[in-house]
Amino acid sequence: MTINYSISMRSLIFLLTASSLLWAGCQKDDNTPPSDEPELITTVVLNFTAPDGGASSFKFTDPDGDGGNPPTSQDITLAANTVYQMNIEFRDESDASNIVDITAEVKREAEKHLLCFGATGVLDIPITLDTDSNGAPLGLETELTTGQAGNATLAIILKHNPDKAAANPCITGETDVQAEFDVVVE
Amino acid sequence: MKKKLLLKWQWLLVLALGGPALAAQNRCDLTLSGKVIDAHTQEPVAFANIAIQDSDIGAIADENGQYIIKNICEGSYVIVCSHINCDHVEHNITLTGDTQQNFLLEPHGIFMQEVVIRGKAEPIKPTSAATTLNADELSAGRGLSLGKAIEKLPGVTTLNTGATIAKPVIQGLHSNRVLLLVNGVRQEGQQWGNEHAPAIDPYLADEATVIKGAGSVRYGADAIGGVILIEPRPLRDTPGIGGELNLQGLSNGRTGIASGMLEGKLNGKLPISGRLQGTVKRGGNLQTPGYFLDNTGVEELNFSWALGMKQEKWNTELFFSRFYTRLGIFSGSHIGNLTDLMNAIDRERPLENGAFTYEIGRPQQRVYHELFKWKGALETGEAGALQLQLARQFNRRQEYDAHRAYGSLPDNFDEPQIEFEITTHTAELSWEHNPIRLLRGSAGAQLMRQANTTDRGGLIPNYENYTAGLFWIERWKNYPFPLEVEGGLRYDYQWMDVGIQGQDTINRQLDFSNFSGTMGAVYRFPELVELRLNFGTAWRAPNVNELFSDGVHHGAASFEKGDPNLRAELAYNSSFSLILDDKNKLNATLNLFYNLIDGFIFLEPQAEPVLTIRGAFPAYHYAQSDARLMGLDWQLEYTFLPRLQLESKASLLRAWNRSRGEYLSFMPPDQFEHALKYSFGPAGEEQTAPYLSLAMINVLKQTRVPSESDFAPPPSGHTRFKLEGGTHFHLGKQHLEVSLAVFNLFNTSYRQYLDRFRYFADETGRNVSVHLRAPFGDG
Repeated sequence: MTINYSISMRSLIFLLTASSLLWAGCQKDDNTPPSDEPELITTVVLNFTAPDGGASSFKFTDPDGDGGNPPTSQDITLAANTVYQMNIEFRDESDASNIVDITAEVKREAEKHLLCFGATGVLDIPITLDTDSNGAPLGLETELTTGQAGNATLAIILKHNPDKAAANPCITGETDVQAEFDVVVE
Repeated sequence: MKKKLLLKWQWLLVLALGGPALAAQNRCDLTLSGKVIDAHTQEPVAFANIAIQDSDIGAIADENGQYIIKNICEGSYVIVCSHINCDHVEHNITLTGDTQQNFLLEPHGIFMQEVVIRGKAEPIKPTSAATTLNADELSAGRGLSLGKAIEKLPGVTTLNTGATIAKPVIQGLHSNRVLLLVNGVRQEGQQWGNEHAPAIDPYLADEATVIKGAGSVRYGADAIGGVILIEPRPLRDTPGIGGELNLQGLSNGRTGIASGMLEGKLNGKLPISGRLQGTVKRGGNLQTPGYFLDNTGVEELNFSWALGMKQEKWNTELFFSRFYTRLGIFSGSHIGNLTDLMNAIDRERPLENGAFTYEIGRPQQRVYHELFKWKGALETGEAGALQLQLARQFNRRQEYDAHRAYGSLPDNFDEPQIEFEITTHTAELSWEHNPIRLLRGSAGAQLMRQANTTDRGGLIPNYENYTAGLFWIERWKNYPFPLEVEGGLRYDYQWMDVGIQGQDTINRQLDFSNFSGTMGAVYRFPELVELRLNFGTAWRAPNVNELFSDGVHHGAASFEKGDPNLRAELAYNSSFSLILDDKNKLNATLNLFYNLIDGFIFLEPQAEPVLTIRGAFPAYHYAQSDARLMGLDWQLEYTFLPRLQLESKASLLRAWNRSRGEYLSFMPPDQFEHALKYSFGPAGEEQTAPYLSLAMINVLKQTRVPSESDFAPPPSGHTRFKLEGGTHFHLGKQHLEVSLAVFNLFNTSYRQYLDRFRYFADETGRNVSVHLRAPFGDG
């Protein structure tokens, strides 16, 4: 009985030691910030080119991301009865010292992206000029026609994974960007 | 419930030895024999009385504790063993052959002991409502998920995120309000999230016990909703090798599961027991009655091992388990903003026309959980029994959005948008004192240290969490006096150090502490009726997501914001149970509960949406108000014809926000289940004979919802059917158990209120499950 007991005690101590070694296993330091924050689209820039070559740019931006301050947009001023070339840029401006252009990535994955537009007032809905590799519309390059002088609004929506074959592709997919601008046509 | 299983095993053994299956004749020459042992000293108890209840058949054990009763007929009996210095012990037993039955007597204890061949002491049953499901009862549901497997119990429902994620809900409460204990260790992962299912291999569970309501002083103060105990199979007690193989196939998703277990015990000087267990699962896209659900495949790879040694005075056990799953999230659920969500709700069926595939694409989740534990128990003799348990858990959770983040490499699939890692160390010392007159009890201390790292995404911050708890429970019983009383007290202290969140530094320290307690009583009438009354308090410190959440919740199209000034929730729970059991034809439990929760934390919709570059998101802030949850659940089994049994279950709940004067949202609707079960075996063998059962599940529409709180009205009620059956047979010498289940028998289209994907798609259609179990080895 005594012998038996001492063996038991020894194995108990062994088990305790073994488990305490395993116990001290890997443990992560919990005060390093997440290393590589994924890039976000924080900014939409609309670049207008008038028939006479005159250029202007307007921005919709939310540099602090979701929550915090709401996005702001610049009012667009355009000339009446004019056909503009409008091209669209996306940027990550969350870090002012490191502005990243994301447009090229949208273009590279053109099949998975679609720009949808909305217009009210004295604006026609922009006409998409560019296409993806399947010949389906993309929408980074467009043509915008203004009407008589007056007020208007313009909405730009970037869809991810839309069903471009659907009757209304703009109600499919996931919305990555939804930007709205007030427009004054003079 | 566990005993049933044991008896089934014995029965299998008898069958295996006794030749052709199901050749039962009414024999009356059976012998019941065994030994009566003192549970504490393991010494034989001389001259104990062994009797078959309600009969004059019995025997007296000899001076070595041996007894023998001869010439008993086949059938089910309650065997009572009693001794003047000890409390009596009862066993339900079905005799189909000569049987050995040992009795463990407790000196003036109230324990109902397990049969010696399995050698595990049954813990003191709490006075609150507790129900256990054994491996057989868990059987078919285990192929779906752990949550779905325990949904069988009245009062238990599930919170779903599509067809691949299910979390258990007890009487309307879930997530951090329900405590899960796996093999005695509190499961710690990211259980706060609605779409974070418990990371547990359902096949590891040999039995699952659900304790409903607050007041589980033993396990933790934060179990406001209740406790779920998942117990693996106990380590083998007799020398030899054995095991079992489980194969399950499910038609929906063309899911296949293989789970194996090998166990053994060495003979001789080093009586070590061991068990190795593992499960592989693979499923593809699931199907509703009308269409496939794109990207709903699942993969699981789990294993566990255990080593243990048991001696007269001490025992010790090492346990390791690892769980890994990769599961697809229905692609139609991933949406950008409120407009996308409204578009999805307006569609009759999802746009994504899934076909069948085993491929799992984006969005998906990968969850890894490992648990390592050591337990040692020592019989100190006069001072009682001591137990120490140390455990380490590690949980990694990765979530992949529908598309890669901008700026990452095109083929870099392995970059999740969200990644959390949480490491938890727990220690528990408990002491069970020897009976002091009529009092039995235990006391103990628990410590926990936790460190959470958010590697990607800023939804919740990094934090460290320390908790310490002390408990003390006493129970009074004066057998055969019919009243039994229990009381328990607990104190917990929690300290949390919150570090950084995303790129922001929070740097806040919070602490919470409080007492909780329970008082309960059981009154047993001489026959049929048992009454249970229980009062308990519980409290729960706000979880880190409730304090600091800040961001868009994908798939829910909502912007959730925490409140760092939340105080702890405080719950007052009372429950009353009426149990009817005639030990023959009728077994019924009615359970009423009334639960007041002060400072109930919930997501409150805000009037102004949050504007982002992706458009508008409805805003929700974590808020607190006083809540009341009350309701009832019942379970009835009545054998009204010799082979025909009626089973009825119901879960009813009323949840009210007392501060706001409105209903609480996302509470389970009333649910009923009625089943007819036909047993092909003779009377007394219903538990083991082949059976067929048809169940009707009826879920009412949830009409008790706050106004203007949801994007779509609750789905209408529905009725669906479930068919289950099982049998045992022999293939050569191999014993086999086959069970069949057809979920949603008539392929009914329906949606569930507590499924967060009800906006997007129907629930899954008909699902035929075939489960084969093959035990092998030395008995």
